[in-house]
Amino acid sequence: MRKVMNKKILVSSIAVSIALSATSQVQAQDSVFVGHLADMSGPTAFVGKSYANGVRDSLAYINAHGGISGTKLESETIDYGYKVPQAIAAYKKWKSRKGMVAMQGWGTADTEALISFVARDKTPVFSASYSGHLTDPTGKNPHTKKPAPYNFFYGASYSDACRGLVQWAAEDFKSKGSKGKPKFTHIGANHPFPNAPKAACAEYAEELGFNVLPPVVVSMKPGDFKAQCLSIKSSGSNYGYIANIGGSVLSLIKSCKTVGVDIQFMSSIWGGDKNTFKAATDGIKNYIFPTMTPFWGDDVPGMKLVHEISKMSDPEGKKDRVHHYMRGVCSTYFMKEAMEWAKDNGGITGENIKKGMYVNTNWVPKGLEGVCLSANWTNEDHRGINQVNIYQANYADGSVKVKKISQVTLERRDDWLGY
Amino acid sequence: MSSLAMRPCGDFRTSYKQDNTIFETKTIRWVTIFTIIALCFAPLVVDGYFITLLIQISYLGIAALGLNILVGYTGQISLGHGAFFGFGAFASAWLNVSFHIPVFLCIPLAGFLTMGVGMMFGAPAARIKGLYLAIATLASQFIIEDFFARADWFSGGAAGSVADPVNLFGFVFDTDESFYYIALFALVFMFIWGCNLMRSRDGRAFVAVRDHYLSAEIMGVKLNKYRLLSFGISSFYAGIGGALYAHYLGYVSAEGFTIMMSIQFLAMIIIGGLGSIKGTLMGVVFMVFLPEVLESGVGVMKMTDWGNIPFVIDGLAYIKEMAIGLVIIGFLIFEPEGLAHRWTQIKNYWKFYPFAY
Repeated sequence: MRKVMNKKILVSSIAVSIALSATSQVQAQDSVFVGHLADMSGPTAFVGKSYANGVRDSLAYINAHGGISGTKLESETIDYGYKVPQAIAAYKKWKSRKGMVAMQGWGTADTEALISFVARDKTPVFSASYSGHLTDPTGKNPHTKKPAPYNFFYGASYSDACRGLVQWAAEDFKSKGSKGKPKFTHIGANHPFPNAPKAACAEYAEELGFNVLPPVVVSMKPGDFKAQCLSIKSSGSNYGYIANIGGSVLSLIKSCKTVGVDIQFMSSIWGGDKNTFKAATDGIKNYIFPTMTPFWGDDVPGMKLVHEISKMSDPEGKKDRVHHYMRGVCSTYFMKEAMEWAKDNGGITGENIKKGMYVNTNWVPKGLEGVCLSANWTNEDHRGINQVNIYQANYADGSVKVKKISQVTLERRDDWLGY
Repeated sequence: MSSLAMRPCGDFRTSYKQDNTIFETKTIRWVTIFTIIALCFAPLVVDGYFITLLIQISYLGIAALGLNILVGYTGQISLGHGAFFGFGAFASAWLNVSFHIPVFLCIPLAGFLTMGVGMMFGAPAARIKGLYLAIATLASQFIIEDFFARADWFSGGAAGSVADPVNLFGFVFDTDESFYYIALFALVFMFIWGCNLMRSRDGRAFVAVRDHYLSAEIMGVKLNKYRLLSFGISSFYAGIGGALYAHYLGYVSAEGFTIMMSIQFLAMIIIGGLGSIKGTLMGVVFMVFLPEVLESGVGVMKMTDWGNIPFVIDGLAYIKEMAIGLVIIGFLIFEPEGLAHRWTQIKNYWKFYPFAY
């Protein structure tokens, strides 16, 4: 019996060492490596999966169609399940073994854990964490604690998106002819991600003449939120910013419908998509949410390419992608064009890709016209996008209809940089 | 015979000193020293990926040892260890940024601060035990986590806080390779300290409290004192681990220190072996390497033609998550005494080879 045990240990230890070394092979000559961190099984998988598919399909599509002007684009997707240690290990593995030149990241947790590493290693990271404090690359704003020179993201920052919504809300309040001061409430968990725009957005709301009420704390995990809804109801708030994602947003909408709260909900970029609406059904009434891309069925020139990209993982073209998918595509394509510039200007290195991000103004990746908003990154300002499309969703006759109601362009105020 | 790492037949301990030694035999001592020396040369041999895993093992190992002193040796329970780990991380960054104390002093100071917090939250242990204590410490997890998110002056709130690299006499430990030596030194130091603690009067008191608190009290062991002290020491270790983590990353965000982390620490010591110092380290090594090995397995699958389609890749992601759970369940069923016990069995097998009885 003991002999068998020891043999097993021997066999398994050999298997482990093979598995560990298998990933460290020699790379082909003319190729570059891009790492892709995704959350497909963790707490943010609700939206993480759609976004990750966008990035993964784009990387595969780029590689299948000539790579980076002829250079092969190698990539690996690692599902880190929103766990920081796994994200760090994946990053180090790619950096030391594959010579990673750029990375497509995901959430607040991994992006912030890696800020110092990527700045030191000069590896641009394109995250789906849109925290305002990632937008100050040089630390120009004295409020900025840690400059993030190698962090980029496609989209308006959480703070800017919330400011855009507040700006819309101020006009909406006026146009309805309501009297007095509109009331604004931040609704979200007490965690870095929902908190990211809290102070910035409240400040701007006050500037616009809102009465900013104390924030209502709603857990990130789905649950019964009737108590919170009752306190929103009794406060008489007019506009509520939903900072959470996924199931928690669903629970909130449903609980508030039961309680009968009369408030205009405005969600963060992650809080409004087809999957949420499908599940919330009749809870969706005049639900406001921002987007940075059109929807799957929209008729814009760039969607043709997106549909082609989608076929990389769905050859029959049956899947209906949510708008997070398109942001994944845009994020990858901005990186791709910066890499192409880098190739023509001294080779594809992290430093050159960063420079490549600053070359174009009013930049839209080729083939994605109408899908990606035009972007402007500069070496002192990483607020690539300062536009917010505002959509409204309504439940009627068994389905949720969305329509665009406004587009807000935000000023690039100095005191908003990195905040 | 002494060339083998075990005590020969007939080698009885005849003095108190012999019974109290850290290393059972000379060989074990030499193997340990040799391993530490070999680890010093690791950055020359292995690549950055393994260095980062070794650093992870160091800071998690220190914190896990703290938990093992509390759970394995003193028989208390804590579900708030992840929060204490986070407190150490923030405290060190806070001391450094707000008071400009050099980082290498901030790390032990953060340990002492965390010790204070740990003793505060461990105070209920004086009156309650078992499941009730578990829930009381669970509260500390949530209170401290919420504190991180709110206390802008301490943790930077939503924006997190910056932790400078360790700077010793002008030399900045800002690369993985250089920080590795800090981590290794801390690991060795804290583990030796842990071993020593368990040989001391206080260590024996801990074990007495664990084994039979009534007898311990009758023998004159002050229960409240030792339970509280155990919480303090456990939190001190967590604080040191957390501080190392902070200065390694250079940035601390409140998001990482959840209940999941606390449970992971518990999993580490259960897999490694409750009440075993070397088991702690084994458990940590196991838990750090397991997801990486499984990830490599997924990577190998992806390299094959049939495996490189999204259906399989997405499926593998779930299998990977489930496999981690399965392994933990497997351990609880087949090896409830942990890796340390398995290690003893393997040693015994060779000791009696070929005449196992």
